[in-house]
Amino acid sequence: MSDTLVEIENLRIAFPREGGMSDAVRGVSLSLGREKLGIVGESGSGKSLTGRALLGVLPSYARISVDKMVFDGIDLTAASPKLRRSLRGGRMGMILQDPKFSLNPVMRVGLQIVEAIRIGDKKLPKREAFKQALAVLEAVHIRDPERVFSLYPHELSGGMGQRVMIAMMVVREPDLLIADEPTSALDVTVQTQVLSILDELVTRRGMGLIFISHDLRLVSRFCDRVIVMYAGQIVETLRADRLNEATHPYTRGLLACLPTIDGPLDPLPVLQRQASWLEARP
Amino acid sequence: MIQVDHLTVNFGPSVAVRDVSFSVTQGESFGLVGESGSGKSTILRTIMGLNPDWSGSIKIDGQDTKSTSRTDLARRAQMVFQDPYASLHPRYVIGQAIAEPMRINKLPDPEKRTVELLDLIGLPGQFRFRFPHELSGGQRQRVAIARALALNPKILLLDEPTSALDVSIQAEILNLLNQLRRELNLTFVIVSHDLAVISYMCDRLMVMRNAEAVETLSREQLRSRDIAQSYTRELIAAS
Amino acid sequence: MSVIADPIIDPKRALRAARIAEFKSFARRFARNPLGMVGLIIVIALLVCAALAPILATHDPYLPALSDRLAAPGAEYWFGADELGRDIYSRIIFGSRLTLLIVALVIVTSAPVGLVIGAIAGNYGGWVDRIFMRITDVFLAIPKLLLALAFVAALGPGIVNAALAITLTAWPPYARLARAEALIVRNSDYVNAIRLAGASDFHIIVYHIMPMCLSSVIVRMTFDMAGIILTAAGLGFIGLGAQPPLPEWGAMISTGRKFIFDQWWVATVPGFAIFIVSLGFNLLGDAMRDLLDPHLRQRR
Repeated sequence: MSDTLVEIENLRIAFPREGGMSDAVRGVSLSLGREKLGIVGESGSGKSLTGRALLGVLPSYARISVDKMVFDGIDLTAASPKLRRSLRGGRMGMILQDPKFSLNPVMRVGLQIVEAIRIGDKKLPKREAFKQALAVLEAVHIRDPERVFSLYPHELSGGMGQRVMIAMMVVREPDLLIADEPTSALDVTVQTQVLSILDELVTRRGMGLIFISHDLRLVSRFCDRVIVMYAGQIVETLRADRLNEATHPYTRGLLACLPTIDGPLDPLPVLQRQASWLEARP
Repeated sequence: MIQVDHLTVNFGPSVAVRDVSFSVTQGESFGLVGESGSGKSTILRTIMGLNPDWSGSIKIDGQDTKSTSRTDLARRAQMVFQDPYASLHPRYVIGQAIAEPMRINKLPDPEKRTVELLDLIGLPGQFRFRFPHELSGGQRQRVAIARALALNPKILLLDEPTSALDVSIQAEILNLLNQLRRELNLTFVIVSHDLAVISYMCDRLMVMRNAEAVETLSREQLRSRDIAQSYTRELIAAS
Repeated sequence: MSVIADPIIDPKRALRAARIAEFKSFARRFARNPLGMVGLIIVIALLVCAALAPILATHDPYLPALSDRLAAPGAEYWFGADELGRDIYSRIIFGSRLTLLIVALVIVTSAPVGLVIGAIAGNYGGWVDRIFMRITDVFLAIPKLLLALAFVAALGPGIVNAALAITLTAWPPYARLARAEALIVRNSDYVNAIRLAGASDFHIIVYHIMPMCLSSVIVRMTFDMAGIILTAAGLGFIGLGAQPPLPEWGAMISTGRKFIFDQWWVATVPGFAIFIVSLGFNLLGDAMRDLLDPHLRQRR
C-alpha cells in the first residue's frame, strides 16, 4: 500500500439544477503515488471538484458517488466526518488560488502557522512551535521570517501570501498536498519562484501532489504525470515530458491554441469541440 | 493617433504611473506589458478619462483629451474591460447593452445596427434577447467588444481582454480582434501581463514595471531578443 | 422555431418573452421556499380582504347595535362584537383597507425618496455625499416613534398625518442602503463602459445605479412593511393615528383593552390580525432577501 497514496474509482459528482441534476464529474478514476500529478482542464471541467471531493470539502448539496476512494489505506467513503477532518488537518493539505481568502484576515500570519502546528501536535510547547513556524517561513524562501511572521495577511503581496499559505500547509508535513491553481493569481516572475519552492518541498519531503491548473504548459513543466479533463471526464493521461505525443484532439487543441512569443502570426488554431468528446468512455 | 507625453498618475499619495511617454500611429497595435501594479491598466483608464488626478498630456487624433468633451472622446476611442462578467449590466439584455451607447449618442437605427454588430462579432441576432448570465465568458466578451464598436471608434483600448477566459476561448477572441482590426482599420492599445499574447497581437510594445516604462520594443526586436533591459529578459524567461 | 417567435421579425415580442422567462425562473425559485409562500399567501389574503371588503363583510362596520354590545363570538358575530355592538369580523375586514393604505402611503413616499437621495449621494461622492448622508444621520439619530409622535402631535392626529410621520422616519435606511449599493455599482465596469460611451450622470443614476439598488430596496421594503403596520397600529392605539369610528386595528385594540379580562375577543382579534399580517410580510421579506440580495446571491 505504500506505493499508492490515493486511489479513486468512478467518482461522480452532480448538483441539483432546475428540473433535475447536472453532472459535473462523470466517472473519474485515478491513482497517485508519491509523485506530482497535474490535472488540467478548462473552467467547468470538474478538475477542482475532483480535488475537493478527495478532501471532503464539497458543498452539502453536491451528490457524490464513488466506487472506491482510498487515501493511504483509509477508505474515505466509510470514514467518519471527524476522521476526515483530522486527515484534512494533518495528512492532507490544500492550497487555493487566492491566499487572501484562505488566511484569517485579523490574525498575524505567523500565529496562524503556529496554530496550525499546534492543532497537529497538541503537546508541542509554544516556543518550539514558534521556532518551527519561523523555520518553515525560511523554507519557503522568505528572507526575513521574523518580520513576515508578525504581518497581517493584507500586508502581504500576492506571491508572499501564497508562500505563507504553502508554509502553513507543508509545516504539518502532510502526505498529500492538493494545489488548486496555486499560482494563477500571481505575476509570471513570481509564479516561477513559488513553483520552484513548492517543487523543492514536495520532492524533499516525499509528498504526493495534485496540481490543478488550466495551464497545460505550466503543469507539464512542473509535474510528472498530467491528467487532462474535459466536461467531467478524463480524456487523456500523459507523461508530462511526452506532452507532444498527446493523441486526444482536445489536448492537442489546447496546446495549439496558445500564442507564443516567437510563434507565427497566422490566426490561432481554434479548438473545435466535438460532441463525441462528451460521450461516456469506459 | 495617440500621443502620451510625460504622463504621471497619482492615486492619493502613491504614484501609479510615473512620467510615461509613448505614441501609437494610425492602424497600429501597441502593447503595454508588465506585472500587476505596474500601472499599465491605469494608463488606459487615464486615457479614457476614468482617473481624474493626472498630469502630462494625452492627445488623441491631435486633440488634447483635457479639452475634448466626453461624447467626442467616446466616438474616437472605446475600451474593452478585463472581466466580461463585470462589464455587462446584469439586468439588461444583450441588445440593450449594445444599443445603449447608440441611443445615448442619438445614432440612427440602433436596432438594425445591433444585429449588424452581433453578426460582426460572430453571434446570432437572437442573442439580443438573452441576459448576460445566459452567456459564456467568451460570448460576453464578444458582446463587450460589440458594445465598444457601437459608436464606430477608430481606437480600441483593450484591458487584459482575455485573461479571464479559458485558453481555447482566448484564441477565438484574439483571432476576432485581429480580424476586426483588419476589417475596420482600427488602432489597438492592448494591456496584458502575458508577453506571448502581446507578441502575437502587437506591432510594438512597452514593458512597464513599478509605475515606470522599462523600454519600448518592436515585435521584431522582441523576437530577435534585441533587448536592452534585464527585466524584459526576466519576463521572457518566465513566460 | 415558429414564425411568430422569430425575434428578427418581432423584436418587441421577443424582448417580452425574454423578460417573462426571467420572471418565470424567479417565480420557480420563489415557489421552492415554503415559508415565503406562506408569507405571500397571507399578503395576498390581505389584498383580497381589502379589495372585496364590502362582499366579505357580514355587517356594516360602522353601524352600532347597542343590544348586541360585547356579544361573544358565535354564528351571528363570528369574532364577537365590540362595545357599540359592531361586528368585529367586518371591522377587521374593513380595517385591512386602512392598514394597506398606510403601508402604501409610506412606501410610495419613503422608498423613492431614500432611493434617489442614496443613489445621488453614492454616485457623486465627495461633498454631495457628505451633505446628504449627514442629513440622513440626523433623522436616523432620533428614535423613530418619538419623531413620529412629535410630528403627529404637531400636525394633529389622523391617518394621513400618521402615514406622513412614519414616512419621515422610514426613508433614511433606504438612503443608506441605496448609497452603499451605488458606491459599489458606480465603480463597476459596466457603469464605466457606459460612462465611456458618453452617458450623463443622470442617465447613469436612473438607468444603471437605481435598478441595481432596487433589489436591496425591495427586500428592505418588504421587511419594513411589518414595522410600518406596527408603528401605525401603535399610533392608532395611543389615539394619534386613525380616529374613531374608523376600524383601524390599533385603535380597535385600544378600545378593547378596557374589556380584556371579560370580553377578550375585542382586543385579541385585531391583535391577531396585526400579528399575522406582520408575520406574512416578514416571511415574504425573508424569501425575497434569499432570492434578491446581491450579497447573499454571490455566496450562493
